[in-house]
Amino acid sequence: MSLMEPSYRPDRGTWICGRCGVPLEQGKTPIFYLNSAFDVELPRCPQCGLTLVPKSLAQGKMREVEATVEDK
Amino acid sequence: MLDQDGLHELESHCTQESPPHCRVACPFDLDLRAFLARMAENKPGEARKILERHVPLPGILARICDHPCENHCLRQSLGGSIAIHALELACLSADTAPGRTLPLPPKRFKVAVLGAGLTGLTLAWDLGRKSYPVTLLHTGTPESAVLAQYPQLAQSEGLRDFLAEDLERLGKQKVTFVQEALTPGLLDKVASEYDGVLVDADAAPDLGLEESAVDTETLVLRDNICVAGWKSHTATGHAFCSASQQAGQGRRAAQTLERLMSKVSITANRAKEQGALHTDLAGIASVPRVEAATALAGEPFYTPEEATREAGRCLQCECLICVRECVYMQKYKGYPRVFARQIFNNLSIVQGIHTANSLINGCALCGQCEELCPENFSMAELCRSTREDMVDLGIMPPSAHEFALEDMESASSEPCSLTLADSAVAQPAWLFFPGCQLTASRGDQVARLYGWLRETLNKGDKPGLALLLSCCGMPAHWAGRRRLFQEHTDRIRSVWEDLGKPRLVTACSSCLSAFRDRLPEAQALSLWELLDTLDLTTLAKAGQADTALPALFSVQDPCTARHDQAWLNAVRSLAQKCGVKLEEPRLSGTSTACCGYGGLVWCGQPELAAEMSAHRAAQLDHPGLASCIMCRDRLIASGKECWHLLDLLLPGGPGGTERGPGLSARRANRASLRKRLLAQYQGTTEEKPDALARVQIPDDLLPLLEERRILLDDVRGAVLAAESSGHCFQDQESGHWLGSWRPRKVTFWVEYEKQAEGFVVTDAWCHRMIVPGAGGQEAEEVVRTCQASMDKTREVGA
Repeated sequence: MSLMEPSYRPDRGTWICGRCGVPLEQGKTPIFYLNSAFDVELPRCPQCGLTLVPKSLAQGKMREVEATVEDK
Repeated sequence: MLDQDGLHELESHCTQESPPHCRVACPFDLDLRAFLARMAENKPGEARKILERHVPLPGILARICDHPCENHCLRQSLGGSIAIHALELACLSADTAPGRTLPLPPKRFKVAVLGAGLTGLTLAWDLGRKSYPVTLLHTGTPESAVLAQYPQLAQSEGLRDFLAEDLERLGKQKVTFVQEALTPGLLDKVASEYDGVLVDADAAPDLGLEESAVDTETLVLRDNICVAGWKSHTATGHAFCSASQQAGQGRRAAQTLERLMSKVSITANRAKEQGALHTDLAGIASVPRVEAATALAGEPFYTPEEATREAGRCLQCECLICVRECVYMQKYKGYPRVFARQIFNNLSIVQGIHTANSLINGCALCGQCEELCPENFSMAELCRSTREDMVDLGIMPPSAHEFALEDMESASSEPCSLTLADSAVAQPAWLFFPGCQLTASRGDQVARLYGWLRETLNKGDKPGLALLLSCCGMPAHWAGRRRLFQEHTDRIRSVWEDLGKPRLVTACSSCLSAFRDRLPEAQALSLWELLDTLDLTTLAKAGQADTALPALFSVQDPCTARHDQAWLNAVRSLAQKCGVKLEEPRLSGTSTACCGYGGLVWCGQPELAAEMSAHRAAQLDHPGLASCIMCRDRLIASGKECWHLLDLLLPGGPGGTERGPGLSARRANRASLRKRLLAQYQGTTEEKPDALARVQIPDDLLPLLEERRILLDDVRGAVLAAESSGHCFQDQESGHWLGSWRPRKVTFWVEYEKQAEGFVVTDAWCHRMIVPGAGGQEAEEVVRTCQASMDKTREVGA
């Protein structure tokens, strides 16, 4: 959806999954808030699907979108 | 729920949009504020446009108007009314072009006027400008009647010949002047030939029409005939011509005839019913009226420079009495009337963005506006009741109050809540309810005070002091959660009943108002009132060495105690007993200002709450003395020295400069006080192995966590959850680990290092959005629900 950019990468570093030990890959995933859903690409483990939300996304765009959705 | 009628009722209590007194007095509804503002800017051309938009025969009236506006000018007692008459003359004498009227297609209704006095000319002007064909029947020359009424119009003496100019403009407006003998026969004839007729009574005396024969509001004599323009009389019976009266009646008759001819109601909505504009004159310096150096035709005549100065004395009357004192209303750039409309619209929209949500949740609900407003408009009541409506409608943003409501729940349940009976007395006469914030900030003082009070009261005739550590439920009330507030106070009622219905004593004014509302049988009173009746000599000894106190304090009354005279008196009495001097700030007692804690603004809009604290701090000239712990802690956080009354009663406390604890520490302090009191009065110790202690959080991270509303327990919980479940990531460059945890409606992310003795946190953040694959096992169920709901939506769509 237009409210969110398509892809977000880790703010820094080279991250691997703590469980599977494999490098993360950008993967498309739906994210939800109240009655809205958005498709975004986030770093995730290709094996177990564990997904990372970078700090810049959580404190930036996500906060904006949360506020907009709450006022809908 | 706020409906149209409710909105209009609310709007009628805000007079900011009411016209100023001068405009109300003007029969032509001249926007004098705008006219004078343009004159003060030395823009006579702009001012003239405003004048001509409202005033008929502007040149003639500039010469002869008896300016009732000046009698109602609020400058009157502050140097003299604005010389509006002289300014109108100056405006029209300036070298500016008269306004052009737009040519309109001629109207089909014809109007006849009998008599060319000021009333007849005014009606001809008003209807001629609207393109009604007007025939003005007169005796003598066209100007003879008005000259007989106002002979000064014949004397120009350096002024422009306004009479000739306005008569010429009348001609251009297609007003036809016809000389006729004005007889009763003529009236009958024109009444049948024309659609509307006006008789100018003063200029057609032969018709013998008495003022008592017409309806005073509409000036209708009969059918399509209006009569107006009689002379006015002094108290002693002397007849004289009042230009404002005669021209005003001409304007009124024009409105009636237009309605008559268009066959619409001649009475509906004629007078605007608006409350009088309130204007606060306090602190406005007196400035004398500018005296004109010259006079023309017997009138003071301003030079452009004099006119600019004189118009500059205009107060530009407006109300804004509440807005001037309120940071919140200033931030949202409006006044209560506008806000009421925005709030009504916000509730009414079905689809789209609710743009007034932050307006509704930004009010501290302190009630200062209601106190200051001459009409008692309460933004607090409007916003609080609207919050209830929003909760009922399911449109309250969850993030607005959730953190505060969680804090309320935490303070009211284990490990923070505690009920202590008094072991010395079977049925205690008193129940001490210190309030969750005093408990969080001043656990040690609460414990000492409780001990002393229990001992002291047990010596008296009403012995027994039980204790209840909990939140009163006020955050739920502020958040518009009616049911939660009710459930919460019901829980407290149940404890109170189990204790044998003792009288409630509380140290918090918000708790006091909650109990008085929901538990009136408990006859709650303030701790300060109780202390004021006791011998305090042994209380001070319960404290440590006296610290140096300021010589003079500014008293900071809590907003929830503004109507509690007993609270306000007891605070002052106790301060006096402690030997300190108090200064009353400009806004104090009933008109006190909020510290920014009220209404949960601190939760949803912390920057606004901080502005409120700073605003209040700036109003206190001396170190503050607060009787509410949140006032004290918030004022200190804004950089203001502020003491709590307990610091005087129990010396050795944190004093006036030590900051209050942060959000995490407040919870920890409540739990710690509970442990201390349990050990002291029941000999119970609850030592649980604390796995959380293995997670270390560096001090420099604490302010950031507070800002992000992340509690230390959430950080520790996230690390332990990640470690136990293996739901985590590792950065191969720094070696840091990253785990997430969603214990409630927020996902917490914590980055940490593993060290031999445990874990050291390096950063943490959070979000409310639900992300599949994040938040650990705790988030799995909610993710499944979201996915199922979205799948269902897709199926329905397909």
